[in-house]
Amino acid sequence: MPMTSREYAWKRRPGWWLRNRRYLMFQLREAGGVICALYGLVLLNMLVQLRAGESAYTAFLDLLRTPPVLYLNVVLFALVVWHALTWFMLIGKAQPIQFTRQPLPWKVVFGINVLLWLGVSGAVVYLIFGGI
Amino acid sequence: MKRTVYAADKVGFHILHTLFQTSMKYDRIHRFDEYFVTSLIVDGGACAGVVAMNLRGGTMVAIQGKATILATGGCGRVYEFTTNGFIKTGDGMALAYRAGVPLKDMEMVQFHPTCLPGTGILITEAARGEGGYLVNKDGERYMQRYLPSKMELGPRDILSRAMIQEMKAGRAFEGPYGLYMGLDLRHLGAKKINERIPMVRELVEKYMGLDPIHELIPVRPGQHYIMGGVSTNGKGETTLPGLYAVGETACVSINGANRLGSNSLSECLVFGAACGLAAAGFAKKKASYPRGAAAREALKKEEARVFDGVLGRERAKETVAGLRVEMQQLMERDVGIFREESALADACGMLGKMRDRFAAVGLADKDRVFNTELTAVLELDFMLDVALAIAHSARNRRESRGAHSRTDFPQRDDANYLKHTLAFRTDGPPRIDYVPVTVTKWQPVERKY
Amino acid sequence: MAASDVVFRVKRYRPESGGRPTFQEYTIPYRSDMVVLDGLNYIKDHIDPTLTFRWSCRMGICGSCGADVNGQPRLTCGTYVRDVHKGAVTVEPLSNFPILKDLVVDFDDFLRKLASVTPYIVRKDWGDLTKEYVQYPEDVEAYRQQSLCINCMLCYAACPVFGSSPEFVGPAASALALRYNRDTRDEGADARLARLNTRTGVWECTFVGECSVVCPKDVDPAAAIQTLKFLATMRHMRRLLMPGSSSR
Repeated sequence: MPMTSREYAWKRRPGWWLRNRRYLMFQLREAGGVICALYGLVLLNMLVQLRAGESAYTAFLDLLRTPPVLYLNVVLFALVVWHALTWFMLIGKAQPIQFTRQPLPWKVVFGINVLLWLGVSGAVVYLIFGGI
Repeated sequence: MKRTVYAADKVGFHILHTLFQTSMKYDRIHRFDEYFVTSLIVDGGACAGVVAMNLRGGTMVAIQGKATILATGGCGRVYEFTTNGFIKTGDGMALAYRAGVPLKDMEMVQFHPTCLPGTGILITEAARGEGGYLVNKDGERYMQRYLPSKMELGPRDILSRAMIQEMKAGRAFEGPYGLYMGLDLRHLGAKKINERIPMVRELVEKYMGLDPIHELIPVRPGQHYIMGGVSTNGKGETTLPGLYAVGETACVSINGANRLGSNSLSECLVFGAACGLAAAGFAKKKASYPRGAAAREALKKEEARVFDGVLGRERAKETVAGLRVEMQQLMERDVGIFREESALADACGMLGKMRDRFAAVGLADKDRVFNTELTAVLELDFMLDVALAIAHSARNRRESRGAHSRTDFPQRDDANYLKHTLAFRTDGPPRIDYVPVTVTKWQPVERKY
Repeated sequence: MAASDVVFRVKRYRPESGGRPTFQEYTIPYRSDMVVLDGLNYIKDHIDPTLTFRWSCRMGICGSCGADVNGQPRLTCGTYVRDVHKGAVTVEPLSNFPILKDLVVDFDDFLRKLASVTPYIVRKDWGDLTKEYVQYPEDVEAYRQQSLCINCMLCYAACPVFGSSPEFVGPAASALALRYNRDTRDEGADARLARLNTRTGVWECTFVGECSVVCPKDVDPAAAIQTLKFLATMRHMRRLLMPGSSSR
């Protein structure tokens, strides 16, 4: 049996996720998930404010309209989009969709999912605002 | 009757991985990964196992066994330019040879005509099978001069020889790795290349930086396979009881003087099974494990030879890389595709001198753990034995047959040489002997195309 | 350093001298068509015979010459110096593995993981072994991609999950499990999914995807793992809803 005592054990470097762009994007996606969950608490708080009365609710909405919060929204939206796109890229690979002998290429499945997503988002926007 | 089976263009790859993965099913199979066998244990006229160096632990161990099968592949690395991997150093052949087992038909070395210069990566026959042309620097399909009836679909030995003749006639391209010919697939078109021979395109793009759809593939002949090897019968048995050999290491003589494409894989499947069954049967019949005394003695001897002897030598003028390259170039030049008496005599003499010079090869790495300089020295030791057997076998066969082409004896001579060469190791040059060829259904006839 | 030279920074670890791994620099002649492995061999043959690394086929099929080149796991035989040459080429042993010596890492743990996914065809009844098991081209196509793995372990070196939880079965072993699960001759899918549906199985994967980026054979282990997550879930649900159903 090999003598393992003289092996040099490997240790992960603390900044490993800065080693390449893909690791960084992965960390962003994961961190983005946590931040989005936290933002969910903000929205829950909206219900609490609504119950507290109109002035509290209006004050809260005004706060949401301030530039820092709007910028934060843009960043969070980008993270959600990135998160969604990475999963759309995966669908065609993880569960090949087969109509003919050859399964659909993952890029086609990705495209279909993006189109569906845009369609559903459009429908939601239409339902809520009655047009864009 | 089909001669072989296929798994796309990666037959050997899939056999290898399926065998390895399926071996995991059996917990009675104990693999010794990265153990380097230095010697066979011979006890009372039978093989009783091996002495091996555990590379990771840096120790020498004796592994006893009732039956031992050598399956170490070929010896392509005795040549400078080969399609074989770095580890194909003829270890199994040399181990058996040193234990008194003869090496059969070692002069029968196959050269594949289409290898990438520099790396020796093989471009499969399918490239020509699908309609690829071989051209010289004038753009001429030169095979019309040598084999008009078959052109590019001729056998490997004739194509390889034609390449050398074109090179000698000054009609070859010249590149950073010497002379080469062109393999032209451009007329096949992108569709056919991508569908039928995708691996060819992948390899050429990745390892030559060229696209065969638009460019000529540079090719030259390279050592590919050795028909000879450890002399065995159809069950893989050698002359040493308990010792078996199989695959390219062995010479069952199904490949004669010139192997057909894919037969090496069929050989592994058919004779691998036969050899395994024979060895298992032999081990079952043997009452007890071999006595330990011979193993202990062999272990002590190998520890002294390798650790005290080879590893103890200080690095000096003679280096393992230097001597290895010298041997490889000599084999390429004098014991290559074309052979003749004076070059072979010169090679036999030079190799004998290299054998002596080997004793002066010293090492810079003195570690016992994973010392790849030490394994390289031991491999060179094996390769010198194998190279000597090839050169002497070739010198003694004064005719041309199959892959063995003598410019001084261009004709086949069945009257004198319809027989197998056997090379036996001695302290001096190998002793060459012959045994008759068993002719069954097919009578030997002249080779005509 | 001449214009036609290139510097190799190679990580060294000598088990018999002890201490920590250190970098050593070698200046060697540069050729435009050289791969990283050529550079290592030049050093071994002409400058420093003590430099230790594995290699054999130099055509991307044996899978033994993997190393981290400029921080990314690669086959050194398939990596051109001209493509990675930024002042110097840094060569280190594959990340996430214990180092035996210089660029040589210990792969025993990886082999145990391969063995853990029953990487062979499982059948209750083998029937007549003299007959062929017929498969159609589309049957082979179903698992062809996963069967092309060369066990080079680059995917393990690229996987930060494996780096922090070494028990994770990992990319190549998972892809191999899927290869056999998709084989029409096999009947062992249920046991393999059960093994992968454990704490050390596919759920460890957080889908970084780097394994598929570094894979030299386009096996796409990342996708294989997500497929296995789906199959393991389906198996779990089926067992919950239909306890008496068959295993396939």
